This record gives sequence, C-alpha cells and structure tokens, in this order.
Amino acid sequence: MSATNAPRPLVSFDAVSKRYGSVIAVHTMNLEIYEGEFLAIMGPSGCGKTTSLRMLAGLEEPSEGEIQLDGQRINEISSVERDTPMVWQSLALFPFLNVQKNVEFGLKMRAIPTEERQQRARRWLERLEILELADRDISQLSGGQKQRVALARSLVTEPRILLLDEPLSALDANLVVRMQGVLSRLQKELGITFVYVTHSQSEAFAMSDRVVIMSQGRIEQIGSPKAIYRSPASRFVADFVGANNILSGSVTGTGDALGISTAVGHFLCNPSAAVDYSEADNLDMVISADLVQISMENPTLQNSLRCRFISEEFVGSIVTIFAELEDGSDFKVQARQRDLANMALEEGATFFASWNASDAHLISPNKA
Amino acid sequence: MSMRPPRHFLLRGYVVLVFIFVFTPILTSFIFSVNSDRFPTIPLGHFTTHWYETIFADPDVWDAFRISGIVSISVAILATFIGFCTAYTDYRYNFTGKALYLSLALLPPTIPLVIMGLAMLALLARINMSGEIYSIVVSHVVLCSPFAMAVIRMRLAQIDPDLESAAWNLGASNWRAMGEVIVPFCRPAIASAFLLTAAVSFDEFAVAWFVSGLNKTVPVIILEILQGNTDPQINAIGSIVFITSMTLVILAQLILMRKTINQTAAGI
Amino acid sequence: MKQRRQVTLYGLTWSMPIVVWQLIFFVFPLIFLLLISFWLVKNYRMVPGFDTVNWVKMFSKGYFWDAYWRTLGYAGVATIVTSILAFPCAFALAFKVSPKVRRWALFFLIVPFFTSYLVRTYSWQIFLNDNGIFNTLFALIGLGPFQLLNNFFGTLVGYLTLCLPLVVVLQLISLANVDRTLVEAAHNLGCGRLRTVFQVIVPLAKIGIILGAVFTFILAFGDFVSPYYLGGSKPPTLSILIIDTTKSGQQWPRAAVVAVVMILTLLTIMFAAVGAAYRKRT
Repeated sequence: MSATNAPRPLVSFDAVSKRYGSVIAVHTMNLEIYEGEFLAIMGPSGCGKTTSLRMLAGLEEPSEGEIQLDGQRINEISSVERDTPMVWQSLALFPFLNVQKNVEFGLKMRAIPTEERQQRARRWLERLEILELADRDISQLSGGQKQRVALARSLVTEPRILLLDEPLSALDANLVVRMQGVLSRLQKELGITFVYVTHSQSEAFAMSDRVVIMSQGRIEQIGSPKAIYRSPASRFVADFVGANNILSGSVTGTGDALGISTAVGHFLCNPSAAVDYSEADNLDMVISADLVQISMENPTLQNSLRCRFISEEFVGSIVTIFAELEDGSDFKVQARQRDLANMALEEGATFFASWNASDAHLISPNKA
Repeated sequence: MSMRPPRHFLLRGYVVLVFIFVFTPILTSFIFSVNSDRFPTIPLGHFTTHWYETIFADPDVWDAFRISGIVSISVAILATFIGFCTAYTDYRYNFTGKALYLSLALLPPTIPLVIMGLAMLALLARINMSGEIYSIVVSHVVLCSPFAMAVIRMRLAQIDPDLESAAWNLGASNWRAMGEVIVPFCRPAIASAFLLTAAVSFDEFAVAWFVSGLNKTVPVIILEILQGNTDPQINAIGSIVFITSMTLVILAQLILMRKTINQTAAGI
Repeated sequence: MKQRRQVTLYGLTWSMPIVVWQLIFFVFPLIFLLLISFWLVKNYRMVPGFDTVNWVKMFSKGYFWDAYWRTLGYAGVATIVTSILAFPCAFALAFKVSPKVRRWALFFLIVPFFTSYLVRTYSWQIFLNDNGIFNTLFALIGLGPFQLLNNFFGTLVGYLTLCLPLVVVLQLISLANVDRTLVEAAHNLGCGRLRTVFQVIVPLAKIGIILGAVFTFILAFGDFVSPYYLGGSKPPTLSILIIDTTKSGQQWPRAAVVAVVMILTLLTIMFAAVGAAYRKRT
C-alpha cells in the first residue's frame, strides 16, 4: 500500500496460512487484490487456490495471518455477514427453488421487501438474457443457462467482489469460450472485482488482468498474462504455463549477451536487466516453443540445436512437434501448419531448431 | 466456519439423550433378568439366575423356541428366495405395470400387523389351514420378502451392468449367466437377507399370535406373559431373544462387510 | 440393462414367485377381509352373504367414531412429536460428527429393531409404574407420584420406542446426502445458520423427513401394544377394537369393517404423503 499511484487494494492477504492438521494448504500468502480488476488464481489441483478463495468467502478460517476487505480485518466475520458471493464449480443452485426464487435468495436474506426483491431479480435475469426462464425448475436448464442463473444469484446483491471457483469446468469446450466472453464483458461493465480460480490456462489468460500462479500452497508468480507467459519467474511456472522448453546450464561469458553452456550445447541469451550474472552461475533457460524456428539443412537463427523428430500433434492450424535432443531430453516446437508444408518430417528425421538470443528467458534457480 | 461450542455441546448432549431413551428399556430388561426381586424396582435385589432356570425348566418355553426356530428358518429360506427373484426382476426387466408389481412386492410392511393377522386367520381358518406351524410361515414370508428384496436389490445396484452381457457374449445362456455371474455376485447379500428375515420372523408377535393357535412362538409366549401379572421371566426370555437376533444380525453384517473388504482388497 | 419386451420362461421364473405368493397370501386375504365385512354372524358362526348391516352398525356406534378419531389423533401427535424429537439428533449425526461416529450411531440405531418390542414395552412399565423407577426417583426429591402409565403419555412413550430410532435413521440418511456446497452457498448468500436449517436443509432432506413421518404414522396407527400395555387399553384405539371384537364375541365381520376403514385411511394418508414428498416446488 506504500506505492504512490497504485490503486487501493480491495482485499489483502497478509501472511495468511491455512493448516489442516499437519497439512499446510496455504503457506504465508501475501496478495493484494484491487478494486475493479479481474484476477485469476491458477495452479494444479491441491495448490491451495480454492482454499484461498474459500478463506476470502469466509468458508474457511485462516490459521494465521490476516485477511482484509476494504481495509478491515474480516477473519472473524462469518460468511453469512460478508458480501462476498461465490459461484461454485457445481454452481450450487437450490434444486427446490425455481430460477427466480434462486436469484431472489440473497435479497430475501437481507429482508428486502417482496416487490423490490422480485424487480431486482428480474433485472438481473434480463441482464443475463434468461428472463424467460424465470419460472423454470433448475433441473430443466442447460449447463450454460444454469451458469447464468448462478451469476445472477451472486450478483443480485450488487457486491463489490465476486468469487468464482472453476465455474466453467463442467461445460463443453465451445460453451466455455462463450461464457468467457459473457464473464469478461460483465466484469468490465460492472467494474467490480472478479477473483477467478481455475486450473485452465486458457481461461485464466483469456479473461484476467492479472494472474496468480500457485504451487504447493505458495504463490509462485503474480503478473499480467503476458508477463507470466513470456517471463516465467520460476521453473515451476515455466513448466506449468505454455509450451516451454527448459535447458539447464551455467554462465560461461558475461557481456551484452550471456553465454550459457548446457549439456546439449552453448547458447547466447539476452540477460534480464535487473539481475547481475557472474561466471559459473547455474540457471535455467526457457525457450518458448512458439518462438523456435525449424529448418532442415542449416540453422536460421543465432542459437540452434539438432533434434530428432518423434511425433506431431495438430490443434487447428498449429502443429506441435515433439522431438528428442542429443542427450535424450525432450524438445517442443510450435509452428503453423503451412510453414512446415514442404519439410520432410517423419519419424527419425533430424532437423535444426533455432531461436534468437532475445527470445530466450532466464530463470536463476536460486532466485532471491 | 467458526465453531460455536455451547450450541455444539447442547446438540451432542441431545444426541446422547436420544440414545439413552432408546437403550434404557433394552438394558433394563437385561438387568432385571438377573435381579432377584419379583416386583422390579430400585434399589435392586441381588444377582440371580433364577428366572433363567425357571424358563429353561418350562417345557412350553422349549417348545416355543423349537417352533420359533423352525418358523424362522423356513421363512428365511422362502423369503430370501422370493426376495431374490423379485430383486432380480426389478434389476433386469422393464415392463408395463412395473410400478404395480413393485407395490405388490413392497406394500405388506405398511399394513398394520393386527390387520394382517386378522385377515390371515380369517382366510386360513376358512380353508382349514390355521393353527399350524406353516400358517405362521406363510404369513411371515409375506412380511419378510420385502426386506429380503431390499437387501438383495441394493447389492444388484452395485453390479457392473455389462457383467451379465459379457457372460452372454461369451456363450453363456441366461441360466448359465445367472448361475455363474449373478448368484455368486449376490452371495453375501443373499446370506445377509437370510439372517435378516430369520431375525424379523423370530421377533414377530402380532400375526403369529393370531394364526399360531397352539403352536406358540417365543414372542407369543412373551405376549401372553405380558397379559398376565408382572413376571421377570419376560426379561430372561427377552434377553435370550435379543442375543439370538443380534447374533443373526451381526453375522449378516459381518458377512456383508467381509465380502466388501475382500473385494476392495482384491479388486484393481 | 433393460431388455426388450418378450415373455420368456426365464423371465417368468424370476418375476412370478412374488406375484403368486403375495396374491394368495397377501392380496387375497385382504379381499377376503373385505368380503367378510358383508357376512353375518349367526349362533357365533359366520355365514357368507352380502349384507351391509355390519357397516351400518359400526358407523352408527359412537364408540367406533370415538376410537377412529382417537387413533387418528394419537398417530398424528406421535408423528409430529417423533419427527420433531428425531430431527436435532439426525441433524447432529449428519453434520456435526465424524463419519466414524456416524457409522457407529447408525449401527446402534438399528439394534433396537432386533430387540423385542414387547420386552421393551414391559421395561417401560417398570419405569412408568405408579411405584415404578421414575416415581421412586421423584419421591426422593419430594415430588409425585405422577401418573405416567395408563394414559396418553405412556402410549406416546411406547410409540417413541417403536418409531424414534427408525425416524432418526431415515432422516439421517436424507440429511447425510444433502450437498454441503448448497449449505455453504446459503451461508455465502447471507443466510444465517438456523435459518439455513429451515430454508435449505429441511427442503433438501424433505423425502427422508416425510418418509419418517409416514412410517411413524403407519406404525402408531396400527400398533396395539403401546396403547394396550402402556396406555391402559381404555379407551380403545382401532387396533384394540379389532382385537376385542374378534377375541371376544366372534364378531369377525365387524372387526373386518374396522380393518377395512383402517386400510383405506392409511392408503389415503400414504398417497397424500408420497405426493407431497415428490411434488415439485410450489
């Protein structure tokens, strides 16, 4: 909060830990969530992302540390008294109430008079384009419709923050893309904070302003999707996000471009400005698969490797090539299908993978 | 989710109270079955096996146990067989009128026992079938087969639906598939249905009282003692009945559990 | 794996035993009961026939209607009291204890089904008697004696003995299946703890609660042991009426009338309850 022009944090986690017996689900977490941002918390299952969200919703109590909402400690405030509505993975719609009554539920609990309650509920149903479903039973709705009801139910009290726990994971692929659009638009129009927990990189990167990557109860990196994608702060992030190749090596020459010596060769890499490197430092070099070029005879860019082709996988017009290096480790390359049209890539064929010194990213294993 | 200790405490205390209410009459019966006073009250008299000696010296009681044994074993065999057939039908087939079929199978426990007794006696007396051991058996099978069906149906719900098809696919006929696949799979449930229906039959008094005539079962004897004066013999008989039934039930439970554990251990 | 419709020997073998058995020994006796309600009794012997005299006689008797309403009232009160007393216990076992404790509790709730109801009734007599254990204890602190036996209180204790464990089990199974995220969702939307119980948990466990209530009603409505041995048998309930009418006086046709009325009442109540249990939201 000391930064001069930083927006005011709506939520802050101050050294928050959560223990279940001897298991530490969340480990001294520090995080600020700003007014009006779309924040995604991402990580593999069991990394503590859902626990963090549930602590924010008041469904779990932190074992240590303090959670503040709008500058006030909320550790002891029960979920009932917080206005931190959540959208569940299962959506948790009440099966014994119809659509309208589900949406009205939060208002009813706040003793809003019937008439106003109904009007407000209908307004939100209309906004989410499901007004015509108002009298339906929950069991009669499709997945996407249920999603909208769950959103309307959470937003009807006009909260300042909305918590979402993998809400799209039960939908099929094209519906997910549609709902991503709905969520993004809604968040921008409303200008409220969305905290979105997911294990899906595409969901997190498509919608959020900032992404928090968690692993084993700790935050690995916080940053914009682009920063996380291009400059992973740790080996875990580099592994977890995107299609990255990681080569471990040591510094052999400093200067404008660092020389890095690895088991499969010597490479040049532009150093990060903020870090001092010295000879023999051990570090990891990350080369994103989509920044690598393929050629059959001669390498085309500064750094290159000989690879042996193993297999390929098509997703739309993008091909991912899986190859093997001289020391037996894996290497991935992503390219557009038409760029590979006249290359004879078949099993066992060797080719050159090359990239620019400026496209490799360095992680020091013993990061500060 | 912050705990609210006082409310928690109250709720737990209440649960304990409910269990005390449920078990007080059961434990009391045990205690007074070895208590010397004829008129049960506190403070208790001294320990005695007198009441057990009295009932074991009574040939009527022996006879009742013999009849109850015959009845409950016969009932268990028949009810388990019928229950198995019904459960399998429900599992395997869909047909018009299935709702009616199932209500026919499951309705008997909802008819008051006094009425069942009255109706059975009226009919059996008319066709000269009342007052015999088999009169009790046929009535009890009516009451017990729904329980057997429920137990076996639950087991069938766990069967892999492709198992039977796989057997057919491998050349087994319907009958072979039944013998090789379905019955072995249901064996623990069949055993537990057998013991359960035996226990239910062993405890049933109302219908037995109507149709038994001179072939009194144990519960009928208890009912008759109850109609007379205070008599601690009832506690002694009750305790024996309880131990018998519980043995059957625990046995049923153990068979079911051991089978499940074995399969979990063996499976995968 | 439901098969196409085709009657086979194999299918009949499995489907028919219950049909045959229940038709002969369940449906037929009940139909026969309906029939003999129209028969006559001459010289202490039943004579087949068709006469509505038994129905007219029974329906014109004040004591029959008294017994009818009394039995209905007893069963109604037993249903409400049992359901209310069972709920906090089932709730606590479903939500406030570990799965291990819950399994043990379930086991101990099933035990009473296999103890003789008659013996348990007898035990309550020992407690509720005018010089019974309770009154002895009350006397120690200078209270009583209270009449606990041979009145509706005694009967109710009997009904509770018969039904309470069953109702707790049925409610518990329903409550244990309540989706916890719905409970959390209610808290999250500002619904207080107690309010959540009534607004969310009760509607979700509706089927078990209604099922428990229906069983209590059926058991209490038909039971003769509690009203007889703990309620003092007078004034009679319908079941006691049936026993008195048959065992003394051989008035089987009139007992049959009472039985038929009881069955019709129970069927009506059951259909209404099942309708309520599975009805869609209002």
